[in-house]
Amino acid sequence: MSAAPGRAPVLQVRDLQAHFRTRYFGVDREVRAVDGVGFDVRRNEIYGLAGESSSGKTTLVKTIAGLLKPPLEMVGGSARFSFLPEWDAVGRAPPEVVRRIRWRHLSYIMQGSMNVLNPLRRIRHSFRDFAWRHIGGGKREFDARAAAHLERVRLDPSVLSAYPHELSGGMRQRVTIALATICKPDFIIADEPTTALDVVVQKDVLGMIRSIQREMESSILFITHDMGVHAALTDRLGIMYAGRLVEDGETPEIFGRPLHPYTRHLIASLPRIGDVEQREGLEGTPPNLAMPPPGCRFHPRCPLAMPLCATTVPAMVETLPGHRVACHAVNPGAAA
Amino acid sequence: MSALLELDKVSKSFSRGGLFSSRRVDAVKEVSFTLDDGRPEIFTVIGESGSGKSTLARMILGINAASSGQVRLAGRDVASYERRAFMAQVQPIFQNPFEAFNPLKRLDRYLFMTAERFGGAADRAAAEELADGALRQVGLSLAEVSGRFPHELSGGQLQRVAVARALVARPRLIVADEPVSMVDASLRMSIVNLFGRLRDELGLSIIYITHDLATAYYISDRLIIMQKGMVVEAGPARAVLSAPSHPYSRQLRDAVLTPDSAGAFRARHPLKAAATPGATP
Amino acid sequence: MLVILRDLLRYNLEFRIGLVLVAIVLVMAGLSFVSPYPPGDVYLVPPDVPPSSAYWLGTTSRGQDVFWQLTFAIRNTLSFGIMVAVLSRLIALVVGLLAGYSGGWLDRVLMSINDTFIIIPLFPILILFYFVLRDSMSTPLLATIMACLGWSYDARLIRSVALSLKTREFTQTSIFSGMKTHEILAREHLPYVLPIVFSTTMNNMNWSIGIEVTLAVLGFTDINTPTIGGMIYWANQHTALVAGIWWWIAFPVALVVMTFIGLFLLAVSMNEYIDPRSRLARMGGSR
Repeated sequence: MSAAPGRAPVLQVRDLQAHFRTRYFGVDREVRAVDGVGFDVRRNEIYGLAGESSSGKTTLVKTIAGLLKPPLEMVGGSARFSFLPEWDAVGRAPPEVVRRIRWRHLSYIMQGSMNVLNPLRRIRHSFRDFAWRHIGGGKREFDARAAAHLERVRLDPSVLSAYPHELSGGMRQRVTIALATICKPDFIIADEPTTALDVVVQKDVLGMIRSIQREMESSILFITHDMGVHAALTDRLGIMYAGRLVEDGETPEIFGRPLHPYTRHLIASLPRIGDVEQREGLEGTPPNLAMPPPGCRFHPRCPLAMPLCATTVPAMVETLPGHRVACHAVNPGAAA
Repeated sequence: MSALLELDKVSKSFSRGGLFSSRRVDAVKEVSFTLDDGRPEIFTVIGESGSGKSTLARMILGINAASSGQVRLAGRDVASYERRAFMAQVQPIFQNPFEAFNPLKRLDRYLFMTAERFGGAADRAAAEELADGALRQVGLSLAEVSGRFPHELSGGQLQRVAVARALVARPRLIVADEPVSMVDASLRMSIVNLFGRLRDELGLSIIYITHDLATAYYISDRLIIMQKGMVVEAGPARAVLSAPSHPYSRQLRDAVLTPDSAGAFRARHPLKAAATPGATP
Repeated sequence: MLVILRDLLRYNLEFRIGLVLVAIVLVMAGLSFVSPYPPGDVYLVPPDVPPSSAYWLGTTSRGQDVFWQLTFAIRNTLSFGIMVAVLSRLIALVVGLLAGYSGGWLDRVLMSINDTFIIIPLFPILILFYFVLRDSMSTPLLATIMACLGWSYDARLIRSVALSLKTREFTQTSIFSGMKTHEILAREHLPYVLPIVFSTTMNNMNWSIGIEVTLAVLGFTDINTPTIGGMIYWANQHTALVAGIWWWIAFPVALVVMTFIGLFLLAVSMNEYIDPRSRLARMGGSR
């Protein structure tokens, strides 16, 4: 994978494997939620991850963020941040290092903003709890800085004195974005941050995420199942299916020239206003990751499936410059 | 042509708050529309959260009574129906396919129950035949579903079972509240297309409640757009969505992100006026 | 159910200990059926004999064998506890499920009755009943009274579960599949409530046995039916501790403590395993 000059990778994920290991009443079950995923997120870009439910995208993000809790385990591979050179994953770094880098270098925007904000405390206190430690300075100085930062996400500074329930969903999500960005982190993980929002608010919040990212030149790993959001927001895009990355590349390139049959279907099946062409759903269902099909995991549903697909895992190959895909039909003879 | 379903200035208000400081909140305000008998259609209700579209669905289903106005099925007030006689004609499909069936129970019992209570099945064999017929209409079969628990099926399959269960009752109208919003993208269009087939082949009328303008454009015949309990725009689906006239409809349509919106945010977002707390309820 | 039991035995230490303790108690109760002495008779054996090979747990000042007397006492005490638990569970289930599911005025009426029972001071009421009924106070009657007083907390608990079940979509699916209210309560909602009922059964038995022992020790029950509390009552009447007849009090107390701990451990371990979430997880559902 070649990084463009001046666009050094901030996150390098290599052959990452994370499995759910459970024991219920003596029966072992292993669910390969993430199985051999590798990609780079570069400085000053938004990298999107797309996938359906059970594609493993949320598990992938938890692994990268070091938020794994049993029964989820990182089984192999690495997820290396440039600001954490000595540890290959946040999950393996000592707790005091993790504490130091959280918010300062790495922060999160999650789906449920209510889970981040303490419902009994004013927004001002949430800011102090999260970020004061990292920024330092006097109380008044810090509050002024928080107020200035809120204006950046187009919220009135009076929001600081409000309680979470007094704010609308969109405003709460903007507060969490302000919280995640006030320390100017190098890397932000955004897991479905706008899924719970109405479309009008969503558009607004996405625009804001983009403008604040531009301003801080940070990198964002943006997860959503909504292809429309990816098209509008991300610079590069990775498509996940059943725990594996099947395609990644520049977003316009993926939408303009999708190579993997799954990606092609995802894009082609989206109805558009002003277009009455018949669109079909995909036959079959996503595989059960406790018993994934051998070979390419998409082959039972794939219109291009060949005998090879059922036996051999296709390798991720850079088929076009900066555009990788894992498919036997696209890259003949490339086995993993 | 007689009316299948008529909504005549239907309103619903809830009182919020305590004994002394209660205030009334209008969830739905004077909504009227008519679905004709003998001309099956997919009638879409578009709205965001808080628009009152789900409250409207619950009133059409007779789960909640209207505060004022009337919902009439085949000319009779829904409230005056015996509940079971009503349910034999109007059936629901819900949003979350994983929640639509009791996770501790087998799926087929809902199909058989519906067949016996509403589908006129006299015994188990007749119920099985009805259930199998309905499942085949949605692309499944009783053999695939029989004895299975909900967690053994995917979201798309479960939603099809939910449609099949509704079909077993042989209803005249199906009310589907956000039926595809929790179904995976690759399976979503098969559910949407299924609604089209039910309309075209079985002559069923469907009220399709959604926040997704693209599928509404794709499948529906007529639509209404709701904002804060009121209908702001109504008309033929494609005409309205191609050229919305109400400012809110335009705002909604412009906010839809599709693969064609590539790079919508690449340009710097213009700073707008700062929002203040309480500006949006 | 059998699978759950097997797995509980294999993987849960609390359950094993609890089961052993309860088994000992049950065996004791079962032995009452082969007792050589009728439970009510006195001066059958020499009084005040300490534990020996002839009389394992000694004899009382009333000339009863403590061991065999204890088998009757624990049987009566246990069946009292079970009676109260079953009756009060039934009331709690009906009230809780119905109030939670129906809502509206029925919920308000049932819950105000429920809250009345929660705040009623239990002990004075029971003593009042004793003074009113006196000789006609029998164990089944006391059990019924206790059951009527002991359902309210659990009914509230069950109602809160029923309230959330009511809002779940599958309840609407059941309604639109033509199920009647009682069918929905019994078939759709009951499975979610049963784990609560199981675990509260044990706790309720502990509670009712505790009250019964207290009342009996004070002499506010039918003292002619041998129970654990009744034995302690007679021991006190004969100033057993002062006279050094410690075995007359120590063994009943030890047995009732074993019962308490055994039932408590069973409640705790079963609560953990019959929780619907872990049950679903075991079935393989990931949601």
